Amino acid sequence: MAKVKDSILTRAAAKLAPISQETALEQDRPVTLLAPSTDADAAERPGFALRWRAWRRPLTTLVILLVGWELIGRYVLTNPLFFAPLSQVALSAIELWRTGELQTHIWVSFSELVEGVAVAIIFGVAAGVGIGISQRTREYVEVYITALYATPLVAVTPLLILWLGIGVVSKAAVVFLTAVFPILINTASGVRATDAQLIEVAQSFCATRRQIITKVMLPASVPFMLTGIRLGIGRGIVGVVVGELFGARAGLGYLIFTAGQTFDVPALFVGILTLAIMGVGLTLAAELVERRALRWRRPVSMD
Amino acid sequence: MELHPAGVTVEHLDMEFVARGRRQKVLEDIDLQIAPGEFFVIVGPSGCGKTTFLRILQGLAKPTGGRASIGGRTVTGPGIDRGFVFQNDALYPWRTVTRNVVFGLELQGKKKGEAAARAQAMIELVGLKGFESHYPHELSGGMRQRVNLARALAIEPAILLMDEPFAALDALTRESMQRELLRIAAVAGTTIVFITHQIDEAILLGDRVAVFSPRPGRLREIIAVDLPRPRQADVKQSAAFQHYVGRIGQLIGQA
Repeated sequence: MAKVKDSILTRAAAKLAPISQETALEQDRPVTLLAPSTDADAAERPGFALRWRAWRRPLTTLVILLVGWELIGRYVLTNPLFFAPLSQVALSAIELWRTGELQTHIWVSFSELVEGVAVAIIFGVAAGVGIGISQRTREYVEVYITALYATPLVAVTPLLILWLGIGVVSKAAVVFLTAVFPILINTASGVRATDAQLIEVAQSFCATRRQIITKVMLPASVPFMLTGIRLGIGRGIVGVVVGELFGARAGLGYLIFTAGQTFDVPALFVGILTLAIMGVGLTLAAELVERRALRWRRPVSMD
Repeated sequence: MELHPAGVTVEHLDMEFVARGRRQKVLEDIDLQIAPGEFFVIVGPSGCGKTTFLRILQGLAKPTGGRASIGGRTVTGPGIDRGFVFQNDALYPWRTVTRNVVFGLELQGKKKGEAAARAQAMIELVGLKGFESHYPHELSGGMRQRVNLARALAIEPAILLMDEPFAALDALTRESMQRELLRIAAVAGTTIVFITHQIDEAILLGDRVAVFSPRPGRLREIIAVDLPRPRQADVKQSAAFQHYVGRIGQLIGQA
C-alpha cells in the first residue's frame, strides 16, 4: 500500500475533477465528472501508460505460464501421447486455420452459444418479470425453478440429441437450458427487490400497473438481469462443449473429442485454448455492456 | 405558472392500523380546513400520525373513518391534482435530472416537447440549470430534494404535499432550502401542506401551523402565524417569532 503513487486508481482519481458533493449546492455552474484535459499531448500519453500499468502484471503472468508450458512440454512431459509443448500447439492451430477447419468449429460453437443464450435472455427476462410481479405464479412454480436451476441440465443432452438431431439446434437447446435459469432467477429477484418507495412515487403520480412494471420495475432490475446474463453465458459455454462431446459433426467440443480419440494432443489443446479465449472475450463483452448500461449507478469502491 | 390552488376539507378523520394483532389508533377525529393557496404546516412529535395524514390526502392510504376532500372532491386514490414530495428524495437513480422531473408528465402521456419544456422550466425554478443530465448519485442531498420538488411541481398540482422534505439535510443546507421553498411557493402560488417536527421551520414557512398530539394523533390547536411576507431568515430573531416558538413548544410539550 506504500506505493500509492503507482496505483492506477490514484491515477484515475487524479483525472477526476473535484465533484464537491456538498458544496455543489450553492454553485450555479454545472459540475462535470471528468475535467476537460487542457494539454492534448499530456492527455494522450497517460492514457497509454495507464492501460499499460493495468495490463503489465497479468501479461507477466501469461508470459511465464506460456514459457513454462513450452519448457515442460520439451523437457519434462516428453511423451507426445500425454502432452505437447506450446510451439506444437501453435503449429497445429496454424494448420487447422489454414485448412479452414478451425474457423468452422469456432463458427459452429459460437452460433450454438449465441442462439441458445439469445433465446434464454428473451424467455428468461419475460418469465422472470412474470414471476417477480405475481405472488401466485411464484407459488406455483418457484420451487421447481429452483430445483431445475440446481439440476445439472447437461444431463439431458442425450435426450435432446435424440429429439433434435446432432446439428446446431440440439446444442443451442442445451445452451438455452443451462443459461435460462440464472437469467430468470436473477430477473425475478431484481423485480422483487425494487425499492417500494420508488413504486409508491409512481403510484402517487397515478401510474397504471403496466407503467409501474415498465417504468420502475424493469429498469430497477436491469443490474440483476445483466448479472444473470453473464452467469448464463458462462454456463452456456459449458453446455456447448458437453453437447458437442455427446454427438456433433462440428464445433470446438467435437474437435476436442476427435482429437482425444486420435491421440492428437496438440489439436486437443487448440480446442481448449480457443474455448478459453472465447469465454474470456464474451465475458469481457458482457462486462462492457454492463458498464455502459449502468452508468447511472454510484461506483462502489472500498479504497 | 398558471395554477388553480385547491382547498382541503377534512372531517372526522380516523385512522387505525393493525400491527401484530393489536389495533392501534394513529389519527383521531381530525377536523380542519385549508384555504386555496395557503401554506399550511403540521408540526408534531414523531409518531403523531402526521405522515399518515399526508398519505391519506395523497390517496396512498385509506382512512378508517371520516373523509378528506381536495378541491371539493373526496379523496379516493392518488390524483394528478396533487404533487407529493417524499421525505427521502426517492428519485429514480437510472434517470437523469431532466428525466426524473419529466416522469409525472410522461406517465400522463404528455407530448415529449411540451413535457421537456415544462421540465426545463421547473429545473430552472428550483435552481438546477446546468445539472439537467446529471444522475442522482452525482448530486448532493439538497440538490436531490430540489429535483424531488421540481418533479412534484412539473405536473402543476393544485396542492403540494411535502413530507418532512428537509429532515435529512444538514442545518446549513436546510436553511437555504427553506429560503428556496419560500421563493418557489410565492412563484408557484399552489396550496402547500408541509409536515415537519421542527418548530422554527414551521413558523418560518407557514401561514398557519397545526399542532398534533402524539399517539393517537389529535389536532391540538391551529395557530395563525401573523408574520409579514416575504420572510427572511432574520425574522427568526424577532420577538413575535420567539413568541410563536414558545407557544408551539408549549402545545407540543403538553401531556
